[in-house]
Parts: sequence; structure tokens; C-alpha cells
Amino acid sequence: MSGTTINLERAETSRLAQAKPFFQKYGLYVFLVLLILIAVSTSPQFLAPRNIQNLLTEGAPLGMAALGQTFVILTAGLDLSVGSLMSSVAVIATSIAPDNVMILPIFLIAIAFGALVGFVNGWLVTKRKVSPFLATLATMIVLQGLRFAWTKGAPLSGHLPPGFRVLGTGTLLSIPVNLWALGFLILVFAIVLYRTTYGRKLYLVGGNPRAAFLSGIHADRVIIAAYMICAVLASIAGLFLVGYVGSVDNWVGKGYELDSIAAVMMGGASFKGGKGGIFGSLAGVLVLIVIYNLVLLLGFPIQTQLVVKGLVIILAASFYLTRGD
Amino acid sequence: MSEAFKKVVSKIDPSIGIVSGLVLLLVIAGFFVSDRFGTTQNLLNILENSVSLGLASMGQTLVILTGGIDLSIGGIISLTSCLTSGVINGNSSLMFPVIAGVLLLGIAIGALNGVLIVRLGVHPLIVTLGMSMVLQGVTLMYTLEPPGAMPLSWDLVAYGKLLGVPVAPLVMVLIFIAMWAFLKKARLGRYIFAVGGNAEAARLSGIRQNRVVVFVYTACGFFATLTGLYLVSRMGIGDPRIGGYYMLSSITPVVVGGTILAGGKGGVIGTLIGVYLIIVLRNLLNFMDITSFYQWIIEGVIIIVAVSFYVERKKV
Amino acid sequence: MAETVLQVKSVTKHFPGVVALNQVDFNNYAGEIHALVGENGAGKSTLIKVIAGAYQPDGGEIIFGGQKTVWDSPHQSREAGISVIYQEFNLFPDLTVAENIFMGNEPLKAFRLIDYPKMIKESDELLSKFGICIEPLKKVKDLSVAEQQMVEIAKGMCNQTKLFILDEPTAGISDQEAETLFERLAVLKAEGVSVIYISHRLGEIFQIADRVTVLKDGNLVDTFDTKAIDKNTLVSKMVGRDLEDIYPPKGGEAGGEALSIKSLSVGHLVKDVSFSLRQGEILGLAGLVGSRRTELAHGLFGSLPITAGSYKLGGREVSATNPQASIRSGLGFLTEDRKNEGLVLGQSIEANITMPILAQFANNSLVDFKREKNFCQQEMDKYAIVAKSGEVLVNNLSGGNQQKVLFSRWVQACGGVLILDEPTRGVDVGAKVEIYKIIRDLAESGLAILLISSELQEVVGMCDRVVVMKEGRLAGELENDQISEESIMHLATLSRENFVCD
Repeated sequence: MSGTTINLERAETSRLAQAKPFFQKYGLYVFLVLLILIAVSTSPQFLAPRNIQNLLTEGAPLGMAALGQTFVILTAGLDLSVGSLMSSVAVIATSIAPDNVMILPIFLIAIAFGALVGFVNGWLVTKRKVSPFLATLATMIVLQGLRFAWTKGAPLSGHLPPGFRVLGTGTLLSIPVNLWALGFLILVFAIVLYRTTYGRKLYLVGGNPRAAFLSGIHADRVIIAAYMICAVLASIAGLFLVGYVGSVDNWVGKGYELDSIAAVMMGGASFKGGKGGIFGSLAGVLVLIVIYNLVLLLGFPIQTQLVVKGLVIILAASFYLTRGD
Repeated sequence: MSEAFKKVVSKIDPSIGIVSGLVLLLVIAGFFVSDRFGTTQNLLNILENSVSLGLASMGQTLVILTGGIDLSIGGIISLTSCLTSGVINGNSSLMFPVIAGVLLLGIAIGALNGVLIVRLGVHPLIVTLGMSMVLQGVTLMYTLEPPGAMPLSWDLVAYGKLLGVPVAPLVMVLIFIAMWAFLKKARLGRYIFAVGGNAEAARLSGIRQNRVVVFVYTACGFFATLTGLYLVSRMGIGDPRIGGYYMLSSITPVVVGGTILAGGKGGVIGTLIGVYLIIVLRNLLNFMDITSFYQWIIEGVIIIVAVSFYVERKKV
Repeated sequence: MAETVLQVKSVTKHFPGVVALNQVDFNNYAGEIHALVGENGAGKSTLIKVIAGAYQPDGGEIIFGGQKTVWDSPHQSREAGISVIYQEFNLFPDLTVAENIFMGNEPLKAFRLIDYPKMIKESDELLSKFGICIEPLKKVKDLSVAEQQMVEIAKGMCNQTKLFILDEPTAGISDQEAETLFERLAVLKAEGVSVIYISHRLGEIFQIADRVTVLKDGNLVDTFDTKAIDKNTLVSKMVGRDLEDIYPPKGGEAGGEALSIKSLSVGHLVKDVSFSLRQGEILGLAGLVGSRRTELAHGLFGSLPITAGSYKLGGREVSATNPQASIRSGLGFLTEDRKNEGLVLGQSIEANITMPILAQFANNSLVDFKREKNFCQQEMDKYAIVAKSGEVLVNNLSGGNQQKVLFSRWVQACGGVLILDEPTRGVDVGAKVEIYKIIRDLAESGLAILLISSELQEVVGMCDRVVVMKEGRLAGELENDQISEESIMHLATLSRENFVCD
């Protein structure tokens, strides 16, 4: 076309602009590698197998939560009820008989409870047209109320089936059990997202819900399913978290909603929907837990972690945006 | 007379009507629930309890009107409250310079939020979430316990009375009226609605929307600092964890009062009534011996019911 | 000649995948009405946005009032005295008419407070200059489309304007309202204001403009004195070829009834519409902006609720309450607004083509990517969609190729009746000709086509039969030789109720 000469001219003028797409696509991975290099060079313990194991064990529940959050953010929504749901599931787990036989029933109950909460979120967002922020904020508060009403506000401990400790902290073939679980969930949901018609529809609905609706896609169903996936994964994350922590208080999952959102956003998603994916989100999770680990290893006060995390979230999210986007 | 009255009524936004009606209903219910509800003491209590939430929600309203959100309000409140009592540490000669400094700091943090949002192009939720973590971290690095002390005279801010009437709740209402007038009458106030209603049209109309955005986050920082200073007066000391509650709670009265998260529609009067709704409800539930646990459930339900009743704006 | 107010020197502007403006020169004198014409996608709107500082040019320069200008934002151009009425409404639905008119330009009192009494009074004066009765305190969302258009125009007139740019100001208003606008423009012209006027209605241009500049595919064709050129020449300059070469010959036998609509109503939007469409026929649906053609289509497609009446597809009664059901019963709908209602821009060509028929490429919910890829490759060849592969994001395609993606999607998905809403909006002439051929071929293959278009030429050139709508009702039907731009306009504006003061 007539534009060729001009295109060449433009390419000359903006070498920087050429670097930008690369950075936008792989910026977080580059950042993650840099962060790990910093960690390795400043703290010899970082690469110790024990440390790596700890780091990943601790990060696995966040990985699960972020995995689910990815689905919801792809629909141009977000789920603030994740943390509250994790706490609630933890409370449920301790409220049933502390017997290893009950592990499977507890899992099933937690998943069913999560599916219900997710359905309510999705229903509010699609059928009642409540903005995702408010719908899930409300669910978060309601779950909090239900949980405290149930526990009367008292912390619970020692009523978990002992098997949960193994799930949360044990290793299998020297790989943490909860990492195996995370790996399995990643595999399943990567297939769902990247190989099934549902995954395709999720990206289409997220990218342009109106166009998807007018092309005969049941946009509402796709969105409700995304909230359900998110909540089910949060429930599972809650169980692994309680296994890791060992004891339960009513706030055990606090902060996971915002951390998971931050991880997904760092991973290249957009609140406008239709952008991002599982592996970006997981890289975002790794960034967060490496920061956390590094702060501990370097002996900084734990509060420093919050400061660094905050700065990194803002910075990392700014990679993906071009001005006027 | 009745014509004029009808005209006035028709101008009132339906959401404000609904929320006011609910508040009224709760107050009437209150008289039936407990004899102590209607006492002057309790009514004054309600007014006093509404001040901090009102101030925090004031700033949040401005931000939400532009279609943004500010999650760093809690962080600002924690930080400013701790710095104030920690640095002053009972020394009344330091009081005014420190308070002035803290106000400037709050304004600067708000402005930084705005500039980051405008310059980096990152979603406000992420910028202010990051900022909130930074502020919370800095506060906890500064102190893990309530620090220092305030001179007794600072108590006057929260507990001062004029002719038996507490001043703070009155001042808060005056601030709301002033901000209402600002949003209604001042050019900048109208631009806040314009940017939230249709950002591209605002840009094409020659409105420098970046300035408007920076302004609202700056104002929000200012109001969050006022909240922090008020809380220091009420508690007599700062608290590194006191702000956490306001991060999300400052949003509830705004949306219950009819301001939509998409921006461009709503206002501060709705927020004020929304604040009273929440505080009266809490008060009432206390009289009914319903623990805060159930209050949360009710608060969540109110958000959903209120918001799903208001019709979102149709596009032109 | 009068002084030159604006000089645009070899301005270039790119967007991803398109050169929207390629070294365009343009100038405007004081006291002149200069028309800017060209097909959709020729670069007119881009040019005025560059002039107004809403876009920054990638090359070239703009000289305004004798000074070279580099504007970062519309704010600066506005301060300098450029006032623009954009094609898309730039109104604030929840603010009042007066606030909208003076947005960015409010009369102020002390402390930067808005002088409301003055603002309301001036709004009233301004509106009555146009002979319009709109209450300045009404909210804009409560106005009709035509009223909103008049507010938009009034908005442009309220400041100290040296250069006044109007992009399609008459697209949604009646002839009578347009006349009032022209009178105002004549007054402004006499006052020495320079005007750039964009319109598809060529009649207007010969009526009011002194000079006319033609753009085509982002390139400058030429600038003419309106006295020195006639309409047919102008049209052939715009499209770059003779009219006979653009539209494929009509004809072909119409078959049985494919769609028949009986007293259909869609809420308050569409009232009591009846017509029918036969296989192999291209039926035009014409009318002004705001005549609710699109809403009728949405009613048929189940995306707006039908409140009365019914329709039949291929002889069978249809009661679709959502697009899924409509697609299943054989309807396809290529929407007007391809960016917001048609394509998912951030997704691949393949994902966009197979959107409604994804299930056909899946085994047990798992997508068979290989089969999908092969199918899409065939489709891309068939419709000559230019792209490296089917994995290219639709975002990076030109308007014409994007539109062909939608054709591919809907021809596959529909089973007999295809509604096309503005199918050539924003595509270049080459692609337009291709699309016209595609449409005609589809009709000849037996598909029944309902063609909604605002471009009268297109309706006249393509349609076997035309129904005209006006304010949600059917205004008339035209066949064969009756179809002309004049007859359509006549029906579209006939005895229109309007809000002009007596």
C-alpha cells in the first residue's frame, strides 16, 4: 500500500517504540528473573533447597487463588470475596470432625460451598447488573458476618484432621504436596482456558461481551461460570492454606483477594477484560512470594515487605500500558 | 406552594429519596426497639459516630464521581494518625506545626496517587492498592503500637461542644454542604462530573481531565488526613491499624447514596445520608443485641439491594 | 482573497494497520465555507481531529492564524479559537443542556464559580437563534436524537470561534432544521468565521460551500471551487472511478418469501412495522439517523424485546427472545458498530470467524484447532482477507478486512436471512466494491438480504427494493425505478413532527 515508505520512516524514528512490545509481553518475566538474580546475589540461602521448598509451599495457596482470579478478571470483573471465602472454608474445615476420614467430605463440602458463593457473585453481576466490585465486596462482608456468627468470633485451633497438615506442609518426592496440587490445578485449568470452547468463549466475552452476546454466546453463563471457577479454586486454596498455617482464626485468608488481584494484573491482565492468562498470573504470584522471601532472608523487618510489594505492583502494572490505552 | 414543592421533589434524585426513606424508617423503628434510642445522648452518639466515616467517604465520593477508586484512604489514615501523636508526643508546642505538616503529607500522597494514575496510565484500583500497601508498611515500620500521645487540648476537636451541641458532627455536615455547593456551582466541580460521565467527550471539550483527576485524588488525600486527625482526637492517640476499616468501608456509603462506580452520576448529599444509614443501622442493631457479626451480613445485603435498585446510566 | 486562517501542510497520521492520512494539504480562508468530502474511511474525521489537537500528527505541520502550532490536546486548539462538532455525540447525558453547551467554556463569577443565570440565559438565546425550543435545564439524556444534535451544534457556536468545524451535523436532523443551520452558518461566514463542513449530503455542499476538498483513502484528491464542478464529477472523484463500476448489476430472480414481518413493535422504539423479504432479494432499509432501523433489526434478532406483532422466517413463526435462538432459526445480523458490537478486537481472525459456530469445531468441548484453522484459511481465501495467518489479531486489520471477517462469520452462521447494518462503514473504496460484489453474490445464491444503510447512493446502487423508516414507523416502500436519493429523502423526512418553534 501507499503507506510503505512512511512506515519505514517511522521505524527509524522510534527504536524505543520497538522495544516496548517486547517489554509489554515479557516485562514481568524479565523482572522476575532480575528479582531472583538479586535474591541469589544478596542472600546465599535463597537457592538452598529448603528455602525454595518453603517459598513454594507458602506461595501455593496464593497460586490457586490467583489461578481462579484470572478467570474472573478475564471477564472484566474482579473478585474481592476470595480472601473471605478462604477464611470461611477454613472455618468450615475445623467445624467438622477432626478425623482423617473426613478429609474428602470436607473437600467436597468446601467445593460445593465455593460453587454456591461463586454462583451468587456471578448471578449478581450478570442478572442484577451489580458492578463486580460491589457484588463481591458485599459477598465478602456477608461471608465475614456468617463466619463470625458461626464461630462467635473465637479463634479455633487443633480441630483439623491431622491429614491437612500433610497437605499443607508435607512433601512428596521432595516436592511440597500443595505444589503437586497446584500443578494439577494449573494443568486442569490451563486445558479449560486454552483448549476448550469455554476458554475461547471466556476470552471472547471478556474482550467484547456485547459482540459475544450478539454472536449467540450465552455471555451471562460464561461469566457466572468464571465466578464459580474462581470461588471453587479459592475454597481449595483455603483448605491448603489452613493445612499450611495449622490453626485457624477468622482472618486467615485476609489479604488474599488483593494479592491475587495484584498478581493477575502484574501478569498482564486488564480490568477491561479479555487480556491476560494463567502463566502471567503465576509469574505475578512468584514475584510476590520472592519479594516476601527476600525481605525475610535479608533480615529486614517484615513491614518492609508491604512497602516493596506496593511499589512493585504499581511498577509492574505500568509495563503493560501504553499511553492513551 | 404545592407546585413548587412538587418541582423540588421531582429534582431530587430517586436514590437519595430511597436512602432518606430508609434512614427515616430506621429512626422510627428505633423508637419502638428501645426507649434509650430516642434519648438525646444516643442521638448525639449517632452523630458523633458518623464523623470519621463521613470524612473518609467525602473524599471517596469525589474520586468515584470521576470513575476512579481510592483504596489508599485507610493507609493515609493510619499513617497520619500515628505520625501526629507519635511526633507530637504530648508536646503541645509541636501541635500546630506537626498537624500542618501531616496535612501537607496527606495532600502530597493524594496528589502522588493522581499523578501516578495519570502518568503511568495504570488503573486507579492498582495504583491506590499499591499505595495502600506502601503506606501501611511505612506506618508499621514507624510503629507497631499506638505511639506517643496528644496534648489534652486536641480532644476538643472530637469532643468540643458549643452550647451543649457537639461541634465535630456539625462541622462535618457543613463540609458536606460546602462540597455540595462546590460540585454544583464551581467549574471544577462540574468538570468532575464531566470527566466521570464521558472522559473522551470531556477531553474533546477542552477539559484538562488530567488536572481534574489529580485534583480529586489530592482532595481525597486531604479528607483522609482529616479523618486521621479526627480519630487521633477521639482516641487520644494514633493507631497503626485503625485505617484498615476505612479502605473498603468508605466506599459503602458512597454507592448506597446513589453514586455509581462508573462515575459521572451521584453526589455528596447521597453519601452523607448513606453514612447516617449505616451508623443508625449499627446503633439500632446494638440496641437489639445483635452482634457486629450480623451487622456485617446486613451491611452486605444493603449494598446489593441498594445498588441493584439504582438504574445504571444509559449511554447517549 | 481573504487571509488564510488555517494551513495544513503534508500531514500524515497512522493507526495500527492503516494510514489514515497520507501527506494531506489543506487550507481555509476567513469567511469561507470549505466542504470536506470523501467516502467513509477517507480520513475526514481524522483530519479534523488532527486540526483540533485531538490526535497528534505523525508528520507534517499545521499553521493556524499564521503560527505553526503543535497541540497536545483539544484544550489548546479551543483556546486558540477552533470549535468542533464531532460526528459522534460528545455530550454528557447526566448534565443539563446548558451545562453541555458551555462545557469547557463556562461563564464564570468570582472564585471560578459558574454564573448559572448567565449560562442559562445565553443557552436560551443561542437555542432560539436556531429557532429551537429546548429547556436549558433539561438533562441531555431526556432529549431526542435530533435535539441532541442541535445541542451539539449550539455547543460549537458558543465561544469566540475563528474556525468552526462541523462533522456530519445534518446526519440526524430534518431538512427544515438543516436550513436553520445553514442560515446561521451564512451569518458566521459574513462575520468572517472560517468554516470546515463535512457532509454526505452532496446537495448541501453545493448549496453552502465555496470550495470543496476531496479525500480518498487518506490521500488528498484535489480541492475545487464548488462553482467549477458538478455533482457527478465530484462523486467520481470521491470514489475514484465511475459509478457504473462500483455496484454489481442488479437482477436475479427473487424466490419465495424468506422473512415476513407483521405489525412489529419494539417497545416505544419501533411501532407497527410490516414488510416482507424474498429469497435472493436485497431489500434496502433506509431512513435518517434516529429512524430506528437498527432497533428494528435488534428486535428481529432477539436482542431487543418485541412488544407486539410477529414475524416469520421461511414461513415459520419465530419467537426468539435472544440471539442464540434467532441464529438457530436462520437469522444472521452483521451489526453496524463493528468495533463495539461485532468484533472482539483483541482476538484472532479465527476466533472471530467461528464465534457463533464454535460448537461445530469441537469434540467434547475441546476445540479442534486444526480443523478450525483449515476452515478459516479457506474462508480467508474466499473473501480475500489479507493477513499473514488466521492467528493475526483482528485489531491489526484494515476496516475492509475486518468487515470481511464479519461477512465470513455471518454467512456461515446464518441460514437464509442476513441483516446487514451499514456493512461498508469505514472501509476504503476498493474493499467497498469487493463487499458489494459479495453481497450481490450472496443474494444470487439465494440468501435474502436486508440492507440497512445511511449512504443513499449505496441503497440506490444495491437494492432491489427499499423500505423507508421514519421515527420508528414505516414511511413507505419504493421499487425499481422509483428508487432514487430524492425519493428516499422525501419519505424519510416527510411531515416529520419536529421541535422547531412556530
